[in-house]
Amino acid sequence: MKLAGNDMLIQSLINEGVEYIFGYPGGAALHIYDAIFNQKDMQHILVRHEQGATHAADGYARATGKPGVVMLTSGPGATNAITGIATAFMDSIPMIVISGQVQSHLIGTDAFQETDMIGISRPIVKHSFTVDHQESIPKIVKEAFHIATSGRQGPVVIDVPKDLTNPDDLFDYEYPNDVNIRSYNPPVEPEESQIVRVVEALKEAKRPVIYAGGGTIASNASEELRELNDYIKAPVTNTLMGLGVYPGTDKYFLGMLGMHGTYQANMAMHNADLILAVGARFDDRITNTPEKFAPRAKIVHFDVDHSSVSKIIEADIAVFGQVKNSLKQINNKLKSESAIFSDDKYADWHKQIDVWRQEHGLDHDMYKNLDDSLPVLPQAAVQQIYQSSGGKAFVTSDVGQHQMFAAQYYHFDEPRKWINSGGLGTMGFGLPSAMGVKLAYPDEEVICITGEGSIQMCIQELSTCSQYKLPIKIFNINNLALGMVKQWQDMNYDGRHSSISYEDSLPDFSKLAESYGHVGIKITKNSELKSGIEKALSHKDKLVFVDIYVDPNEHVYPMLVAPNGSLKDMWLSKGNKT
Amino acid sequence: MIERQLTLIMENKPGALARVVGLFHQRGYNIDSLHVDPIKDLKKYEFIEKELDIKFHENEISKLIIKTTVADSLMRQILRQINKLIEVIAVSDNDSTYLKGILRNENLL
Repeated sequence: MKLAGNDMLIQSLINEGVEYIFGYPGGAALHIYDAIFNQKDMQHILVRHEQGATHAADGYARATGKPGVVMLTSGPGATNAITGIATAFMDSIPMIVISGQVQSHLIGTDAFQETDMIGISRPIVKHSFTVDHQESIPKIVKEAFHIATSGRQGPVVIDVPKDLTNPDDLFDYEYPNDVNIRSYNPPVEPEESQIVRVVEALKEAKRPVIYAGGGTIASNASEELRELNDYIKAPVTNTLMGLGVYPGTDKYFLGMLGMHGTYQANMAMHNADLILAVGARFDDRITNTPEKFAPRAKIVHFDVDHSSVSKIIEADIAVFGQVKNSLKQINNKLKSESAIFSDDKYADWHKQIDVWRQEHGLDHDMYKNLDDSLPVLPQAAVQQIYQSSGGKAFVTSDVGQHQMFAAQYYHFDEPRKWINSGGLGTMGFGLPSAMGVKLAYPDEEVICITGEGSIQMCIQELSTCSQYKLPIKIFNINNLALGMVKQWQDMNYDGRHSSISYEDSLPDFSKLAESYGHVGIKITKNSELKSGIEKALSHKDKLVFVDIYVDPNEHVYPMLVAPNGSLKDMWLSKGNKT
Repeated sequence: MIERQLTLIMENKPGALARVVGLFHQRGYNIDSLHVDPIKDLKKYEFIEKELDIKFHENEISKLIIKTTVADSLMRQILRQINKLIEVIAVSDNDSTYLKGILRNENLL
C-alpha cells in the first residue's frame, strides 16, 4: 500500500487501536487534519485549549490503562501542551503527543509558529522522536507506543515537520508487527532470590505495612496485591496515586498516608518494622524528613524503575520487575506457606492500629449535620457525594484542599477510579481529565470534584463538554479563596493572606454553566446538600455544575509538621499537634 | 567528593547527546569535562554485539566520556538515570556497568 505521510501517521494510530485523538488544529498540522477528516475509525475531540487536550488524553489513559493520544500544531499549540505533558510524566501516564512542526527547510530560521518542541519537552518526556523521513513514520509510531506503555510508563512526543505530511508524496506503507529497540530493555520478571528474601522478611516481621502506590495501578496489579494480603493480612496504606488499588472499605485499609494522610496510616508507617513499598517512590509528601522516616523499618521496594529504588530511602531488599509479576511470584510462594500467616500473627499490631484509629481517625459522619446555622463543611460535601453516588463513580479532581478532602473521604474500592494530578499538582486537571474518562466510559458516573480556583484554569472545556454531550457532574467546593495557600498562610505566615482572594470577581458558576447549555445548581446550606447532590446525579444526559458554598475557614487535617518532622509529627486540628 | 569518570556507549543519533547533558543539569549534577566520538573501530565492542545479538556498523554508535565531581552516594543514582535514557546501550563507572539495563559488577567499557 502506498500512502502519504499524513495518512501514514493516521493509519499507524488506527493500527495501534486508537479510539480518540484529543487535539487542536493549526497551520503545521493541516495535512494531518486532512487525513483525520478522511477516516472513520477514530474520533477527534476538539478541545478549547491544548492543555485541555493533554489532560483529557491523560484522564482517558488513567481510566483505561491505554495510552492517550494528543494532536497539536507547532509553536503555541505545542507550548500550550507542556503543562499536561509534565503532569503525565510526573505520574508515569502513557501518552502519545504528536506535534506539527514547520517545514524541514525552515527549521532553525525562527519561522512563523516555530518552536523547538523536542528541546522544550525533553526533560518532561520519557522519549521523543523527530520524523526525518516519511518512511520512518510507522516504525516511529510503533516504537513510541511501545516506549510509552512498557517499563515505567510515560509520555512520548513525535514532532513532524509539515513537508513530511504532504499528501502528494507517496511511499510504501507497512505497519510493523514487532518492535525491538536494541538499547531499551525494561525489567519484567524479578530475580527469584529477591522473592525468597521478601518472604523470609515477612515471616520475621511483627509490624509490617504494605505501602502501595500508582505503580501498582499502572502494572494492573490490584488483584495480585489483594491476593497477597489474603495470605499475610497486613495493614495496607495507599499513596494519593494508589487509592483504589486496595479496597478503601477493607478492614485492613489504613487510608492514605503522607502529608494529609490519616493518623493511623502515618503512625503505622513510623512504627513499622517492615515496609513493603509496592510501585511507590518515597515522594517528599510521603516521607516528610527522609532521615527520620520509619526509623525501625526494613524496606522492601518493588519497582520497575531502577532509578526509583534507593533514591530517597535506601532499600534493604530491591525487587526489580513488573510489580504484577513480582507479586505473582510472591503469592506463589506464600500459597504453600499460608499456614504461617494465621489470622493472629499480627494481632497485637492490628490492636495498636485500632487504638490509633479510635484516637484520631477521620470522622466520616460529618454529612449527617443538617444544622443550617452552621456553614457547609467541605468534608461533608465530599462525604455526601460519596453516599449519593454509592461509592462507584469515577472521580477526577483538581489540586488543593478539595483534592485532599476527596482523597480522604471518598472511599475507592477499585483502581483507576480516582483520577488526579499527584506528582505535578496541576490545577486545571479535573474537568478535561473527566472528559477523557467519560468518553472511555460513557455509561459510568463521572464526577469532577474541584474548587473555584482550579476550575477556572480550564473552564473553557465546558464548551467541549457541550459539543460532545459529556454529562459529567462537576462539584465545585467553593470557599471563595485559594484554600490550600490560605491554609499555609494561616499556619506559617501569621494569617497574612497574600493574593488568595478574588474579592468580588467570581462569576456565578451555575449561570455560567447554563450559558453553555448545562444545568447549574447552587448549594449554600447543609439542608440542601443531600437533595442538591441527588438532583444533580439524577440528570443522566446533562452536565450539571453544582456550586457548593463551603466554610471558608476550614483546614485539611491531619497535616505533617514540616520542616524537620517525621511521620508521627502531625497537626490534628488548628492548634493541636501530636 | 572525588572526580569520577563515566563511559557511555549510545546510539549516534541527533539529540541523543542533549539528553545526556540535559539529564546532568536537570538532576543538579555538574559536568567537568565531556568527550564524544563516533566509533569507527568496533572491535572493542564485539562483546556487546555478542551479548545483545546485534551488529553495529561504523559510526552508528558513539562513545561518551564524562567527568563529574559528585558524592559517592549519588554515583549509583546517576548511573541508573543515564541507563534509563532510551538511546543509551551501556554505561560504566569504575565499579559497574549497565548493559542494556542489566547491571554487571565490573567496568566493561
